[in-house]
Amino acid sequence: MSGKEIFVDRYRQLGWEFENVQPRQAIRINVTNTKGKNLEERLQIAGVQLEKIPFLETGYWVRNSKVSIGATAEYLLGLYSIQEAAAQIPATLFTRLKGNTVLDACAAPGGKTVQLADLMGNTGVLVALDVKKRRLVALSNHLERCHVNNAIVYNLDVRQVSRLKLGFHRILLDVPCSGNFVCGKGWFRRRTIADVRRNAKQQKEILAEAAKCLLDDGEIVYSTCSLEPEENEVNMDWAAKHLNLKIQEIDCYGQKGLTEVFGSRLDVSIERCRRIWPGETQGFFVCKLKKVMGK
Amino acid sequence: MMKKIARFAFQLGAKIALNVNFVVEKAGRYFLLSEALKKVAGKDFYYAGTYFGKVKNGKFFPSFNLLSMLAKVEANKIVVEKKAAWLFICGRDVFRNGILEVRGSRKKGSHTLVINEFGECLGFGKIVGKLDEAVKKNGVAIRNISDIGDFLRREI
Repeated sequence: MSGKEIFVDRYRQLGWEFENVQPRQAIRINVTNTKGKNLEERLQIAGVQLEKIPFLETGYWVRNSKVSIGATAEYLLGLYSIQEAAAQIPATLFTRLKGNTVLDACAAPGGKTVQLADLMGNTGVLVALDVKKRRLVALSNHLERCHVNNAIVYNLDVRQVSRLKLGFHRILLDVPCSGNFVCGKGWFRRRTIADVRRNAKQQKEILAEAAKCLLDDGEIVYSTCSLEPEENEVNMDWAAKHLNLKIQEIDCYGQKGLTEVFGSRLDVSIERCRRIWPGETQGFFVCKLKKVMGK
Repeated sequence: MMKKIARFAFQLGAKIALNVNFVVEKAGRYFLLSEALKKVAGKDFYYAGTYFGKVKNGKFFPSFNLLSMLAKVEANKIVVEKKAAWLFICGRDVFRNGILEVRGSRKKGSHTLVINEFGECLGFGKIVGKLDEAVKKNGVAIRNISDIGDFLRREI
């Protein structure tokens, strides 16, 4: 079997029939920067037709645009960000972000960092990390453009976050992953099962380090744009069993997490995760975990 | 450094009051930290709080965050109409007929913020032509020094 056939067969075993999906461009309104401004009307006048994304409060699909959506005055002023619809979900799953100390563990290029800052109302402390220094330039530009002023950025591998000697109330782990065929041209040609296993191992290391820095009653939102269960449900099953974390119910777009993966049975709480097969959005996976108090 | 920021603000006819203890320099770049950030900031951060700008070869280059802050206080400002605003973002100068309103200095050589019809700061420039409304001739009035289109040009 070729690379594509192997993956398509895996998806079939997991209950999804492969279909080609074209990614749809989406934007997210930065609420903090648009107070008292009618952004939708301004964009409409500029020739941008938007369609509200039903499962997101501040997300819109770009139906049609006469102008480049990444070069309007409104974009350059930080009134909105370009962010894929499914990628807008994780940051919205936290409770009480304002005034807290929040970690965005794999932050660049900064779409979710800006979203977190917006949800925090630019209060508290938002620590953003990325291991690749050259990616910090894009992250910093993003923060400046969107007038974020509660963030602090470090060139640091999240697996060394203990060095900062900080405790976090909330941690976003949008971890490096294998991605999926919707957002990467030639994805099937480039990816192997060995990549998936390597990524899954790295993700476990990230989870373990993040759990150490999470304060009692703190929340972790874990997300990937991978469709591979080893990077998703299997990792969450491992985290729940080994890291003193409990999987939380979430109310968002997507299907229940898989509790049976290639013949292995996972904990029933994995159902609380959300798996998004490609369709309306790219492929995605999200899970919320809470630290068990006093252990 | 505070002098450089204050001098830049003065060139724009503005005054800015900053708590020196919360302004931090990092590799020639200047950041204003909140109290909460100041408490947790390690020495080796890459970016923090509100970016104010950088000093290169002794010259201060303001950030758009600083320009936006100055746009909220009394300063030299010109308000431009939609097309002039778009051309300015594209790196072009402002012509006399694109100006809707002038606030503060009208003097040749003064620096001024360029504001769109919604009151948002698009950048700043230098007054190079007469701004007097009686002048019929439509020439360059504001020479573009820096505009928000820079966010796109940086990525290239």
